[in-house]
Amino acid sequence: MTHRDQRNANAMNAGEQLLAKHVREDPFAAAFKATRMPMIITDPNQEDNPIIFCNVAFETMTGYTSGEVIGCNCRLLQGPDTDRETVKKVRNAIAEGRDIAVDILNYRKDGSTFWNALFISPVRNDQDRIVYHFASQLDFTRVKSREADLALARHQAEEEVARHTAELHAALRAKTVLVHEVDHRVKNNLMTVASIVKLQARLTADKRQRLALMSVLNRIEALSTVQRKLFTSEDVSRFDVADFARELVTDLVTALRRDDITLTLDLLPVFAPAAKASPLSLIVNELIGDAVRRGLEDGGGNVHVVVKEMNGLLLIRVEDTSAPVEPSSESAEFSRRLLEASARQLNAKIDRKIEGRRTTVDVTLLVEPNWEIRH
Amino acid sequence: MIVEDEMLLAMELESEVEALGHEIVGIASSSTEAAELLSGANPDFAFVDIHLMDGPTGIEVGKALAARGVSYVFVSGNIKKIPEDFAGAIGAIEKPYTVDGMRNALEYLSAVIAGDKNIAPPASLMLAPPGLKTPRLRGASFSAA
Repeated sequence: MTHRDQRNANAMNAGEQLLAKHVREDPFAAAFKATRMPMIITDPNQEDNPIIFCNVAFETMTGYTSGEVIGCNCRLLQGPDTDRETVKKVRNAIAEGRDIAVDILNYRKDGSTFWNALFISPVRNDQDRIVYHFASQLDFTRVKSREADLALARHQAEEEVARHTAELHAALRAKTVLVHEVDHRVKNNLMTVASIVKLQARLTADKRQRLALMSVLNRIEALSTVQRKLFTSEDVSRFDVADFARELVTDLVTALRRDDITLTLDLLPVFAPAAKASPLSLIVNELIGDAVRRGLEDGGGNVHVVVKEMNGLLLIRVEDTSAPVEPSSESAEFSRRLLEASARQLNAKIDRKIEGRRTTVDVTLLVEPNWEIRH
Repeated sequence: MIVEDEMLLAMELESEVEALGHEIVGIASSSTEAAELLSGANPDFAFVDIHLMDGPTGIEVGKALAARGVSYVFVSGNIKKIPEDFAGAIGAIEKPYTVDGMRNALEYLSAVIAGDKNIAPPASLMLAPPGLKTPRLRGASFSAA
């Protein structure tokens, strides 16, 4: 008998002795044998702590028969990809007589691998001496691979999100650059157009022609001013009609240097969307311009400007105490048509009231949900 | 002096300023031209655009002017690019400015340079925050803009 055969025989005997201690009806032994959980018992008092008993579930899991594993050390389940650190932990726990639970990659008889949730516990006799080691195994390859799949999927999703976020940031940066570039060009073009008209006006000797050019320039400048207001605000998609009116009228009246034209303001912020900027700026410009032009001819008066939200309507009111408008005047007609076209564009209503020397023009339009009102 | 890369704008501004009785020592369309102009002239006042032929170099031009004690304002469509300390500028006129807006700003600047401290600034001129070091305004009038 070789040394190896002798060892196997010893292990076999130990197993048989262990079983012999239990009667056939011993429910603990029966449970051990029949449980679906793979279990083994090793004998640390024999050389190399061999397996002395394994149940059917262990045979099923590993592919080894009980005859093949008895007498072998548990390391027969290890293979090239088994983590050495984990093996070391198991070895130390056994040497120190401690319980240990580890997840370890094990190999079946056919060489395939499985993830094994291994639990080893020493069994002591009445003298507190370790007489056996009991080990239970659990194949959790499916759980492990699901975990790995989930971790991989999460990682991929995170990467995808990060990539999309980076793309969005880049797109937003590009859009911001583009908006600023377009804004810069629009402003430059408006200034260039204004400069062309100014140059022509400066070189025009005829007073009436020059006035006509300045009248055109005035409307270009109304559009310029609103463009400026649009892009200095925090929210480039909206502009404050009241702020625009304030700048337009104070600039105009200051430049007149006429003490006999006085100005009173009743302005509350009303933020209109950018799409309405041009017609709104022309409406404000025409109402104010008309009052001031008549004031110039008439020898002064007061101009009162109101911009506010009232009962869901935007009210733009210009009230003046100058002479009423002359319907025959060329410039008045030009102004009237610009005002009417802009009002039609916005679905706005124009109400003109003349009482003696007092002229009141109200332009009202519906405030839509995307506007912003501050009181 | 006028530092502006749009010639049409620069020429129109020149005639506006001249109409108020001032004299323009020259127009520079880049920071290099501005430096050349400054080496041969001694302006009392300058208008400085931020974006010039050689890029957004107007701020540097402004700093050079401030270092020489020349009062100036920025005239730009991009006032967000002006540093917090205004680089020594009195203020900024935002483009696109109007004839009235520019005229009001010019009159205000003339008055302030002439020593009038009680005049209120017009809406078209954004003043540098108070308490900053700007070059001491020179001369009784700004006869050579």
